[in-house]
Amino acid sequence: MKLKENKDSKDVKNYLSKGYIIKNIKDIKSLNYIRKIFIKEIFKSFPNQKNQKEENILNNIHKRVKVKNLNDFRLKIFNSVNKNEKFKMSYYNLSKEFLDQIVGNELVMQSRINLSIQMPKDSSSLLPIHADTWSGVSPFEVVVWLPLVNCYRTKTMYFLKKKKISKVNKILLNKKLNTDQIFRKIKNDIEWLEIKYGQVLIFDQSIPHGNVVNNEKETRWSMNCRFKGIFTPYGDKKLGEFFEPISLKPASLRGINYKHPF
Amino acid sequence: MMNVRGYIFSRSFFGERVPQHIQNIVIRDFCKKNRLNYNLSLVEYAMKESYTMFNQIVDEIDKFDGVVLYSLFQLPESDKIRKNLCEALLKKNKKIYFASESRIIKSKVELEKIDIIWKLKKKIPEKFIH
Repeated sequence: MKLKENKDSKDVKNYLSKGYIIKNIKDIKSLNYIRKIFIKEIFKSFPNQKNQKEENILNNIHKRVKVKNLNDFRLKIFNSVNKNEKFKMSYYNLSKEFLDQIVGNELVMQSRINLSIQMPKDSSSLLPIHADTWSGVSPFEVVVWLPLVNCYRTKTMYFLKKKKISKVNKILLNKKLNTDQIFRKIKNDIEWLEIKYGQVLIFDQSIPHGNVVNNEKETRWSMNCRFKGIFTPYGDKKLGEFFEPISLKPASLRGINYKHPF
Repeated sequence: MMNVRGYIFSRSFFGERVPQHIQNIVIRDFCKKNRLNYNLSLVEYAMKESYTMFNQIVDEIDKFDGVVLYSLFQLPESDKIRKNLCEALLKKNKKIYFASESRIIKSKVELEKIDIIWKLKKKIPEKFIH
């Protein structure tokens, strides 16, 4: 039975038990294309780095961009790369085989892929502990998180151990707590997801996650993009406004165009 | 700089109501970011399925380079009427912008994408309730 095969897959088991999977990307061509796009964007602002390794350029961007200019720098790159349809399709292609298993093959994709740049010691771009579903996101969505550099220790994100969700739910009953207080209560129940360049993380955004100040010596560059089944329920992030269909199958195409004879 | 006409709703669409001044703020901001010269919005009539003002825009479009709607879901609900009106604008090489969704129709390819989104939206049940 296909259904049984699917449940027995290692990735599916891991996703269900831990809430995430980290996979080696096979479509290296798409991955390299994506990183090169970013390097090209950086060269527009800093053209004198052309002899350096891509990895070093990204890891050391804090030596060239000041924290106060970081958001403008990030938005400039974000706006530019998101105009590129090939960039978006490359992002989908490198995660497609895993999305097929975890989500399905008729998908909507976030229209604009988010970019996160976390410089060492920068406290201005933090995402405190949260689950996207706490702010109205559909629990049918997954996040595809793609690092452009190796991410480890405080340079990466943390993720609550799935078995600790009931503990967090109890903590949340105390509505007077702020996010720092919540984090302190669960800091022994999280894992830091070590992800190398060449790997991709797919996670269930209904499980609490976040980041802290990057205390490593390198800058983190990562992207995140949400995917869900076209016909699964939507939350506050709506079709057309936030999501766009990317893999509508012929039967569904027929279905949406179907009209009764009279 | 491209000269565009704004277009907003005085009724709700897909169960959402956005105050008119907020729709105008979003359109103005979109025009500023995209270097479009914004001309005052026409306000669609409140009566259900009325597209009188949109028809007006199509008729006077020669004065402009395009139209900026607050949302793509303010296009006519009827697939046929929506297609005809958008094609009429495209035939005259005019662009159709959607401020809330940061989208643009400038060719038939984009029109087809928007058409699919519209048809899906009509078939898919309302949002998930936690």
